[in-house]
Amino acid sequence: MAHNYRTDLWVDWCPGCGDFGILAALQQSMTEMNKKPEDFAIFSGIGCSAKTPHYINAPGMHTLHGRVIPFASGVKLANPNLTVIADGGDGDLLSIGAGHFVAAGRRNVDMTIIIHNNGVYGLTKGQASPTLARGEKTKGLQRPNILDSLNPVALALTVGYTFVARAFSFDVKNTKDIIMKAVKHRGTSVIDLLQPCPTYNDINTKEWYEQRVYYLDKDPSWDPVVKEATSEASEQKYLQAIQKSLEWGDKIPLGVLYQNDFVPSFGDRIADHISNYFEVPPALSPIINSEGQPVARMEKIFTDRLIKK
Amino acid sequence: MPLVDIDLIIGGPQGGGIDSAAQIVIRAFSIAGYEAFGIREYYSNIKGRHSYFHVRVKETPVRSLRYPVDLLVCLDAESPFVHMEDVSDKTIVLYDEDLGNTKIEQVLTMESETKKHVLGKLKEGGFGTTIAGAIDFMKKRGAVPYPVSFRNLVVGALGPNKPPARYANTLGASLAMALMGLPAEFTSGGIVSVFGKKKEVVEENEKIVKSGYEFVKTRNNVNIKELPVREAKERYILTGNEAIGIGKVIGGLKLQTYYPITPAADESFFLEGHDYFEPVMGEDIDKENEVLKNTGVVVVQAEDEIAAIAMAISGAMTGTRTATGTSGPGFSLMAEALGYAGINEVPVVVTLYQRGGPSTGLPTRNSQADLLFAINAGHGEFARIVYSSGDVPEAIDDAIRVFNYAEKFQVPVIHILDKNFANSFFLVDPLDYSKIKIERWKLSENTENFERFKLTEDGISPMGMFGKNIIWLTGDEHSELGHITEDPETRDAMMVKRMGKLNTILREIPEDEQVELIGDKNADVTLLSWGSNKGVILSVFEKLRTEGVKANLVYVKLMNPFPSRLVSKYLSNAKVLIDLENNYTAQLATLVKQNCGIEVKNFILKYNGRHTTDDEVYEGIKRVLDKKENRVVMVRGA
Repeated sequence: MAHNYRTDLWVDWCPGCGDFGILAALQQSMTEMNKKPEDFAIFSGIGCSAKTPHYINAPGMHTLHGRVIPFASGVKLANPNLTVIADGGDGDLLSIGAGHFVAAGRRNVDMTIIIHNNGVYGLTKGQASPTLARGEKTKGLQRPNILDSLNPVALALTVGYTFVARAFSFDVKNTKDIIMKAVKHRGTSVIDLLQPCPTYNDINTKEWYEQRVYYLDKDPSWDPVVKEATSEASEQKYLQAIQKSLEWGDKIPLGVLYQNDFVPSFGDRIADHISNYFEVPPALSPIINSEGQPVARMEKIFTDRLIKK
Repeated sequence: MPLVDIDLIIGGPQGGGIDSAAQIVIRAFSIAGYEAFGIREYYSNIKGRHSYFHVRVKETPVRSLRYPVDLLVCLDAESPFVHMEDVSDKTIVLYDEDLGNTKIEQVLTMESETKKHVLGKLKEGGFGTTIAGAIDFMKKRGAVPYPVSFRNLVVGALGPNKPPARYANTLGASLAMALMGLPAEFTSGGIVSVFGKKKEVVEENEKIVKSGYEFVKTRNNVNIKELPVREAKERYILTGNEAIGIGKVIGGLKLQTYYPITPAADESFFLEGHDYFEPVMGEDIDKENEVLKNTGVVVVQAEDEIAAIAMAISGAMTGTRTATGTSGPGFSLMAEALGYAGINEVPVVVTLYQRGGPSTGLPTRNSQADLLFAINAGHGEFARIVYSSGDVPEAIDDAIRVFNYAEKFQVPVIHILDKNFANSFFLVDPLDYSKIKIERWKLSENTENFERFKLTEDGISPMGMFGKNIIWLTGDEHSELGHITEDPETRDAMMVKRMGKLNTILREIPEDEQVELIGDKNADVTLLSWGSNKGVILSVFEKLRTEGVKANLVYVKLMNPFPSRLVSKYLSNAKVLIDLENNYTAQLATLVKQNCGIEVKNFILKYNGRHTTDDEVYEGIKRVLDKKENRVVMVRGA
């Protein structure tokens, strides 16, 4: 029987929370990927979304606020055989962890980042997150939000993410499909996952989104994939995606906005230098030899520090 | 008494090849069969500010430095001013005579505060305020000036088209070694050893060596005795940073993360240069495994220190030996993640190179002021090991050892070091691999409900890892499976499990790895110290012994959990007890009071950021013993 990736924990999100859809889509996509549970490593930051790994029956790490990306990167660097998915809130990834979000675009570690984008800090009672528009006054706020919102898709494109998509958590099937594509991409993929918070965000609700979202792939002329390894080819798709990322309000596009498979992943870049990196990654590399002694020897490695007689 | 015991300072502009000069000196003496030790002092600056190398050469192992020096080599205009008090009647002061008329006001690299202090001393003694004045100041102390025109010598050796400044370092080193009586062939050997494959550079510098030696021959104002050549052995020249890197690699390091910071980054930089190599797999495996002909260490420059420790922590949870290296400000950023490693019992190594704080403090200078911070960093209570090393030979072993501790006890380990250690040069014999032990985690069968945090008698659960077991980790309090829980009984059990490891650690780490009692059993005076002061203290003990004073050192390595029983035992017989550290508040003494209930009453401290030297430690001990002073502050160093 296929693994359904459910744990027997009670899922303690509020009724109607958008996170349920993301969890279901994740579990379904993992089942469809047809791997062993041990082949996955699921990461999260802090907050409501951060409980996700506990609800998935696969190895998981619930990390620190803002630090989900470096934690996820560390496992992938040490063992590139694993499929790594990192779930973070919008505050987690775009405020306290924004530096890591930017660095991840430059690094292109082969993993998937899911932004649980709901405009608020739910678990601390609804403060404004970086994706809430200025002037909006959600339920938990004393006054309208005085900070401008940032555009996660445009930010991701600008800092070099090689796969950028958007999904809506109440469309579980489409979300699952996008997760599958994102995981398949060799490089860092990021999904801006619109995820209503029914308790604290009374503006960007399920209904609000349902009236606005549309699917890019319904338009046969929409093609986000860079076709050749030239700067002209990637620039054209990049500009198209940037333009699309500005569409927010009456209409909100869903789907893959940009995909460039020609940028070497961080692992590929390491393997340029350490050629057996994928065959014998750090986690599987022996450190003791058949005689029980260290395999690394000064006289083989540090000869430039040797003073001959 | 040894025949040869020479202290030498080579001072010059940062970026002016002071490092190479010191390398040439140490390598040349090693080839001639001598022992050498050195420390580099420098500003937080790329080019121009004054840096210097303090080196000591002996026939027997060297591990400390002393003032006054025997030879002061001034490669820049600042050196004669800032080192004018480092000399005695035994010192030769080599300087560029073309700079003799340079006024102190013209030395732009010098900080105004330093100028003010130097000017005060020159004026007080009625000396001029030029380099010639500083030379007179030193002459009054009996030093012998040795003026040289650097320009003339370089032009003589290489013609008029080469910039003299570029060769000042080799010239200075050559003149110095000629003055010390080292035969020229060894100096050339040092040049070849340092510049190796760069044929043109070697040829040019050999010409410089020749002209330096010829110049010294023509001058008769200094009596030079040729040094006897001794039997040489093959040795490695290693800094503290490099020793840690080497220990880590031999210990099985496979992932090192870091963010650039002084003085820690030199280690990661060194690793990046030695990250792909041929492993010694043993007969059978060598033949079978084509893919293992080479192996790598992945060194990652992270976006900040938080990312560096986060990557190291999660990397360690794949069964990889991972480490990160940092200094004060970076370590401050790591505090939260350290607690995460604590609650998740992650075997990660954090190599902490202390420098002067607080804040940016003295970014390139020495300090031992982060001991209590290393022990307490992070909110909440969790088991960690804080382990200290003080010199290069022990650091190689310790870098392997801390990986063993981390994995065996499944705790984060902070390997605490200091800048003096990091930037010291040692000569090290090849390693004996049969003595190296690699100990890893406890494992168990992979079961369906694998309990990563299984409650056990000694607090240590079987290690679970990504890629192998279904495990959950969380910064929240958790169940044996690793899921969040706020259940009070589970909380109690988990606290007892984690904190109980501290007793397991003290029980299982051999006593001589925790604290060493070095020196006479029945001592007249007992020193309590740690880190890079070890070599200086032991060196001073030799001198005290010749005066009939018996001394011993309680040298603490395991700082947390604190080896209270052993330290109490060693300190209980002390007749006069003195704590010696490079900080203001005597942090090790604070630990002793807290853990052993023993109050140390005498202190020799130093916090000006410069390396501790024999003379000031000797003087400090004398002031405590003879003058009954109870707090001596050491102030030497430019």
